[in-house]
Amino acid sequence: MYALFALFPLFWMLLISFKHDREMFNTIFVFHPTLENYRVLFSTGEYIGYFMNNVFVSVGAVLLSLVVGVPAAYALARFDFKGKEDLAFTFLSFRFAPEMLVILPLFLIYQRIGLYDTAFGLIWVFQLISLPFIIWILRGYFEDISPEIEHAARVDGYSWWRVFLKINMPLIKPGMVAAALLSFIFVWNNFTFALLLAGQDVVTTTVASLKYISSDTVHYGQMAAAVTISALPEVILALLIQKHLVRGLSMGAVKG
Amino acid sequence: MSSIGRPDPSVPFADLANASATPNSDKIPPIPFMRKARPYLILAPALLLTIGILIPFFISIYYSLTNYSFKYKDYSFVGLENWTQMLTDPLFWHSVWVTLQYAFFSTGVEMLLGIGIALMLNQDTRLSKALRMVLIFPLMIAPVIATLIWQLMTNNSVGVIAYALRSIGIDNFLWGADPKTAMFSVVLIDVWVNTPFVIVLVLAGLRSLPKAPFESAMVDGGSAWFTFKTLTLPMIKPLLLIALLFRIMISLQEFSIIFALTRGGPGDTLMSLPLTAYNEAFTYKELGTALPYMLILWVFIYILSYYLIRYWSRAQKNASGS
Amino acid sequence: MKKSRAMKSIIPLVVTALLVFLSACSSGGQSSSPSPSASGGASPGASSPQPASDGGAFDWKKHSGGQINVMLNQHPYAEAIIARLPQFEELTGIKVNYSITPEENYFDKLTTALNARNGNPDVFMTGSYQLWEYAPADYIQELDSFLNDPSKTDSGYDINDIFKGILDGDRWDLVPGHAVGTGSLWALPLGFESNVLIYNKRALESIGAQPPKTFDELIEIGEKLNGWNGEGSYGVAVRGTRSWATIHPGYMSAFSMSGAKDFEIQDGKLVSKLDSPEAIEITKKFAELVKRAGPKDWTNYTWYQASSDLGAGKAAMAFDADIFAIFQGSEGASQEAGNLGTAPPPIVKEGQPVGANEWIWSIAMNQSSKKKDAAWLFMQYFTGKEHTLWGATQAKVFNPIRQSVWEDPDFLARISKFPGYYQTFRAVIDNTSIKFTPQPEFFNTTTEWAAALQDIVTGQADAESRMKQLAKDINERVSRIRVQ
Repeated sequence: MYALFALFPLFWMLLISFKHDREMFNTIFVFHPTLENYRVLFSTGEYIGYFMNNVFVSVGAVLLSLVVGVPAAYALARFDFKGKEDLAFTFLSFRFAPEMLVILPLFLIYQRIGLYDTAFGLIWVFQLISLPFIIWILRGYFEDISPEIEHAARVDGYSWWRVFLKINMPLIKPGMVAAALLSFIFVWNNFTFALLLAGQDVVTTTVASLKYISSDTVHYGQMAAAVTISALPEVILALLIQKHLVRGLSMGAVKG
Repeated sequence: MSSIGRPDPSVPFADLANASATPNSDKIPPIPFMRKARPYLILAPALLLTIGILIPFFISIYYSLTNYSFKYKDYSFVGLENWTQMLTDPLFWHSVWVTLQYAFFSTGVEMLLGIGIALMLNQDTRLSKALRMVLIFPLMIAPVIATLIWQLMTNNSVGVIAYALRSIGIDNFLWGADPKTAMFSVVLIDVWVNTPFVIVLVLAGLRSLPKAPFESAMVDGGSAWFTFKTLTLPMIKPLLLIALLFRIMISLQEFSIIFALTRGGPGDTLMSLPLTAYNEAFTYKELGTALPYMLILWVFIYILSYYLIRYWSRAQKNASGS
Repeated sequence: MKKSRAMKSIIPLVVTALLVFLSACSSGGQSSSPSPSASGGASPGASSPQPASDGGAFDWKKHSGGQINVMLNQHPYAEAIIARLPQFEELTGIKVNYSITPEENYFDKLTTALNARNGNPDVFMTGSYQLWEYAPADYIQELDSFLNDPSKTDSGYDINDIFKGILDGDRWDLVPGHAVGTGSLWALPLGFESNVLIYNKRALESIGAQPPKTFDELIEIGEKLNGWNGEGSYGVAVRGTRSWATIHPGYMSAFSMSGAKDFEIQDGKLVSKLDSPEAIEITKKFAELVKRAGPKDWTNYTWYQASSDLGAGKAAMAFDADIFAIFQGSEGASQEAGNLGTAPPPIVKEGQPVGANEWIWSIAMNQSSKKKDAAWLFMQYFTGKEHTLWGATQAKVFNPIRQSVWEDPDFLARISKFPGYYQTFRAVIDNTSIKFTPQPEFFNTTTEWAAALQDIVTGQADAESRMKQLAKDINERVSRIRVQ
C-alpha cells in the first residue's frame, strides 16, 4: 500500500511527460505517447544551461560544506573546549532558521556586495542547509574513532595531516557519502533561495520547472519532463551509493 | 600502517566495534600536540561562513520594531507596536494553532509510517532490497513540484485520483478545497514527500543493531512486540530522535506545500505562521508587521530543538551504555 | 560589530530614499520637469558619451552601445517582446538583458528588486493594480516628461491611438480613493484583458440554450449544464483561490454592474462599501453561482484551472478573461478548440450598462534606473504601432492596445475565427475600465475579500455578517495608509 502511495505520483509524472498537451486532460492511461515534451525541453540550450547551473551550485555547496564541515566536526568531536556544546547546537540551529526570515535582509546585502544572482551567493546561502547536517553526522563518526589510534600513528612518526587523511578519512567515508548525498538532495531541490537570490544569470532547474506554467496554459507535459530530467542525477547518485546511504547514517548517529 | 595494529583500511567498519568499545574520548587526557586555540581555529571557517548568513537575524529584529514597508519611501521606529498588534490579533492565535496541528500530524504520521515501513524493509528478501532503493525517490522531488503533481492528480474535474474515487462511488472528496479536508490534504503531501527521510534514518538504525541480543530474545521466546519494545526501540532511539528533530523543526516552518495547494485557504483554514508572514511581507508588503511572526516561530523552534537535543544526548548515552 | 556592518548597509538606502523623497516634494507634482536623477547623461559605464537629454532631434540610435536590464513575467506578451529583441537591438544599438519569471513568483521577485533601489531592472512588466503600490513608494518613474519631450519620443508614436480606457488605467494622481485616469502616467500598456463570458457552443447547443444575457440566466443555464460532458464536467468556471486574483475577473465585472462600489470617500477618509446592500446581494448571487454551477473544488481555481477546464471540455462556460477564448480556442491548443465563443458579461441589474473590469499588462520604468533614456526607447518600441501590430498579427498579443490595430484587416481576419470575439470587444470597450478604487492597500484588501468569499461559498459564514466583518477589517487596514 505504501509503495503504491509513494510511487504512483512518480509514475504518473513520468507518464504525463510523454503526453501531448492536447491529450493531458481527456486521457488517462491510453494515449499516444510522444517525445515532444523532451524535444521542446532540449530544443534550445536553455534547459541544459539551468541543469548545469544546478549541478555547479549544488556540487559547489556540498563540497564547500565538506571542506569546512569535516574539520569542524572533527574539532567538535575531538577537543574539549569552552562552549563546545553550544557551538555544536548553534550549527544545527542554522538548519531551522525560517527561510523567509533570512531571505529579505540577505537580498539587500547581496545586492550591495554584488553576490546577488551569482553562483557563489547561492553556494554560500546553501551552507545553511548542507553544513549543519554534515557536521552533525560526521561529529558522531569522529567520536567513534578512538583517539588512541591517532595517537599511536603520531608516535609512529606520521604527521598530523597524514593521520587525518590516511586514518580518519577512510573511517568517516561512509558517513560523509551519506550526509553529502542527503545534503545534495536538499540543496538541489531548494526553491526559495534559488528563486529570490538569483534568477537571471543563475537559474536552477527547480525554479526553471515552473517556467512551463505559462500564462496561456500550463504545459504539464513539459513540466513533468523537466522535473523527470532534474531528478535523474539524484536518482543515479542514490542508486550508486545506496549501500552507503543507510549504512553511512547508522554508524555515526547511533554510537556515542 | 600495520605497525599500529589496525586492520586493512579498505574494510573501514571492521574495527568500529573496537573503537566504540574503547572508553570515551573525554576521559583521555588531551593529546599533547593539540593546543588550546586549535579547535577554534579549525572551527573558524565553518563559523565565518554561517555567521555571515546570521547578519540577517539581527537586521530582522531591528526591522520588526519599525514600520518598514515596501509601499513607502521611508520608515520610522515604532517600538513594540508590531508585536502587540500581533499578540492581540485573534488570527495570530489561530495561525499558531494551525502551525502546531500541521507539525503534529505530519511529523506523527511520518514517524509511525517511517518506523513501520523500515521494519518491513529490514529483511533480506529481494523485494525489500528493491523497495529500499526506490522508496526514497519522493524525497528527490522538490516540495513545490510535488504539490503541483498532487494538485493535478486530485483536481475534481480532470485529476486521475478524482476519477478513480468517482469510479468507486466517492464523489464529494474535495481535498484542499473543503475546509474539512484541507488539513488532511496538505499533511498527506508532506507525508508523501518526507516519509522516505524517516525511513532512511530508521533503517540506518535497524541495520546497525547487534545480532546477539535478538538471538537470545528469540531463544527466550519473547513476542515480537516485546522484543521491539524492550530491545529495538531503545537501541534505535537516538536515530529516531534525530529524525523527529529534523521533521518537527522543518514541518513547523513548512511553507511551500500549503502555499502551492491552497494559499492558506479556504477562508483562513490553513493560515499557519509562515503563510501569515508571507502574506504580510509579500502580498501586503509590510515587512515590519511580518517579521514578528517569523521571529516568534524561530524562537519557539530554537527552544524546542534545544530540549530535544538534550534529550537526544541522554538517549544516546543510554543506547551506547546498554 | 557584525550588526553595525549590517546597519551601515541600511543607512545609504534610507538616505537615498529620503533624497528622492525630498526631490519629489520640491518639484511639487509638476510633471513637466524631470527629476534630477532622470537625466540619463550621468549614466556611468556607457561606452559612448550620451548627449544631454534636452534638445536634439529624436534618434533611435542616440543610446547605441548602452545596456538595459528588463524583467518580464512569463506571458505571451513577454514572448512577443523576446521574439523581437534582435530587431530592437539592431535599431537602437542597445543591448537588452532580460529575465523571465513565472507569474506565481514574479511580483515577489519584482518587489524585492525594486526595493533594492539600485537601478536593476531598468524596465519591468507590471499590472496596473501594482502601480498603486509602486508609485507612492517612488519605485517608478512618471512618464509624461518623456512622452512630451520631442527629443525623446518618436513623432510617429501617437499616444492617442491607444484606447483611452486602457491608457487611463495607468494614470493616477496618488491620492487614495481618487479614480484612475487623472494625474501622472506611470506605465505604458502592452495588452489588456476584459472580463467577459466565454462559452462552449457544443455545451449550449446540447441543451438548446443561447449564451446567457443576465446573471440569473447564467446561474440557471450553468446549473443545467452540470455533467454536460460526462463526469466532472460542470457549468461555469470562475477563479476561487485565496488571492486578489479571485476578485478582479468575473466577480468584479458583476460587482460593478450591480451598482455596488468598493470604496467611497467620506469626510476625506476612505470607507469600505462592501457592507452595502448591493455588495452583499451580488456576493450572495456569486456564491450561489459557484455553489450551483461552479467547480466543486472552486477554492483551488486559479486562472490556469479555469482556462484549462474550458479547453478540456469540463467547463461549459467561464466568466473570466476574454483571451481564454483564444488561448484555448486556437487550433490544436486544446480539446475544445473551435467550439469556444465569447459574449458580453451577463447583466446583473436592469438599466446598468454592460461593462467589464479590465486587467492591463504594462511596462514601467524603475525610478532608480541609471539609463532612463535608453529604457524609454525600449518602452516606446514595444508599445509602438509597429510592434503592437506585429504582436497582434504574428504573435499572441490578442488584445492589442491600439485602435489602429483593431482596424487592421489582417488582425480582423485573424480574430474572426473566434466567434463573438470582435463583437464582444466592441460591445464592452467603451465601458471597460478598472472598476476598483485605487489605493495602496489594494492587495491587502482584495486578498481579505477573497478569503471572505471563500468562507461564504464553503458555508463557513453567512454573506451578510461576513461582508460586514470584512468591511470593518478593511476600514481598519486602510486607516493605516500613511499620508505622504
